[in-house]
Amino acid sequence: MNPEILAYTQMAVSGALMGLAYALVAYGFQLTFAAGKAVNFGQGELVMLGAFVGLTLTGIGIPYWLSIAGAMAVGTGLGWFVERSAVRLALKQHNEGWILLTIIIGLFAVSAAENIWGREDKPYPVPWQDGSIDFYGISVTWPEITIAAGALGAMILIEIAKRCTMFGIAVQAVSADPDAAELCGIRSTSATSLSWAVSGAAAAFAGTIIGPVTTVGPTMAAALTLKAFSVAVVAGLDSAIGLVFTGIFLGTVENLSGFLLGSGWRETPGLILLILALALRPQGIFGKKIIRKV
Amino acid sequence: MLKATNLHAGYGGSDVLKGISLEVPEGSCVALVGANGAGKTTLARTLSGLLVPRKGQILFKGKEISGLPASRIARKGLCLCPEGRHVFAPLSVEENLLLGAFPRLPSIGPFRRKASADLEKIYDMFPILQQRRSQQAGSLSGGEQQMLAIGRVLMARPGLVILDEPSMGLAPLVLKEVFEAIVTLRKSGMTILLSEQFARNALSVTDSAYIMEQGTVVLEGPSADLAKNPAVAEAYLG
Ligand SMILES: Nc1ncnc2c1ncn2[C@@H]1O[C@H](COP(=O)(O)OP(=O)(O)OP(=O)(O)O)[C@@H](O)[C@H]1O
Ligand SMILES: [Mg+2]
Repeated sequence: MNPEILAYTQMAVSGALMGLAYALVAYGFQLTFAAGKAVNFGQGELVMLGAFVGLTLTGIGIPYWLSIAGAMAVGTGLGWFVERSAVRLALKQHNEGWILLTIIIGLFAVSAAENIWGREDKPYPVPWQDGSIDFYGISVTWPEITIAAGALGAMILIEIAKRCTMFGIAVQAVSADPDAAELCGIRSTSATSLSWAVSGAAAAFAGTIIGPVTTVGPTMAAALTLKAFSVAVVAGLDSAIGLVFTGIFLGTVENLSGFLLGSGWRETPGLILLILALALRPQGIFGKKIIRKV
Repeated sequence: MLKATNLHAGYGGSDVLKGISLEVPEGSCVALVGANGAGKTTLARTLSGLLVPRKGQILFKGKEISGLPASRIARKGLCLCPEGRHVFAPLSVEENLLLGAFPRLPSIGPFRRKASADLEKIYDMFPILQQRRSQQAGSLSGGEQQMLAIGRVLMARPGLVILDEPSMGLAPLVLKEVFEAIVTLRKSGMTILLSEQFARNALSVTDSAYIMEQGTVVLEGPSADLAKNPAVAEAYLG
């Protein structure tokens, strides 16, 4: 194959695989929005914290797989905590204070991370760091395959749980009609807490699979929040499939523009995507639904 | 079984319920009749815990329940079939029914099997629901949705069921089917509080009744007596 085309294809494939991680982080927005009509604008910060926790655990000799479990446990707790401590209060008063509150908690998380782990980006070593598979000259590294398999696997697992367990059906019921769900004996606030906890776990998990590819540092948080948010705005807040396609699209475009225009331009496509989506959908992603709720 | 004393409740500034007292003895079928805006739905929401009373007492099986979350009250067996059906539109008919039995079913695992006997009973009562079992609830007709809402509340095996205007917006034929279901339930010994705007059907299937006007009870007594009362006839029998 023409070496130039090969290089582009290589970039596109790597970007697409990373895009699946964006889809997973954006999926966390969908989860909490369905249950409680709010999202965590510190979702990228949870990804970063998950990555740091995983990194720290492997640093003290814990195997990678277990470090994932540890990071997810912390993510679960943090997701739950953000909802309980801040979001529930704002929603009870029918205001949008949760937007500001989750941003502030995110900022706090970043400075906490800088204090604990420092400002520099750190590598997150995994046992299969250097392995790769070649398809017709395009090489895909094992950490990239881990991203794709992990992100898709996590989303599929959660979707199955939503449809095939009574817990999942109850969460869907709360999302459709919280009062009617209460009348069925379902505590709607517990269903909301559960969704935030799962969303936090998904974000932390995303950190442990993204980290080995990108390195881990406090600056990854804001970039990931922005990208995941762009993906969620474009795909809407009810279709997981839409997230996967939008995530792949963004990841591909971003990697190609970084390659063609220089690495400083990498973050631009996410921003353009977000601005376009907001311009084409001026009601935003929650505008309508929140007004209906209040 | 259910006893409310001097209930005051409302939205925002003013009270909609202005000192309501009522009693539903175990095994009885009681009607709550009142015109548009009398406060029947507000009373149903207050009794079921969706609205917290500002004053007054609600005893269910002898225990105070006011102030508890609606889900706790439902788990105690006081279940509301809300006005306007409130089925879970994006979920299937069968999922809606399963949700009615949520507290009894395993959260993960063979919940369908565990609920199959109860599902069977509901499908016997409303065969159309069985035909539509995998259809989205939101795509049902109004009458089918009302049957689904009643089926869902029965899946909870309630000790007392409050039916808030089950006849709202129903065609005569469906109306007949819904009221036949209420008569069947009553014969099976279920305790029922039936809220209706039009008294004719409600008084014919109940033992006793309360007539509400502007947030207070203005008349109460055996349904048969009230049906003969000329004042009631003029205002509510239409
Ligand atoms: N969510 C609400 N917020 C504010 N006021 C309300 C609300 N719901 C009902 N009301 C008011 O409370 C009063 C009683 O309403 P309610 O729905 O309890 O009457 P109802 O007897 O059930 O009437 P209908 O037969 O029309 O269902 C009405 O004046 C209504 O405007
Ligand atoms: Mg009403």
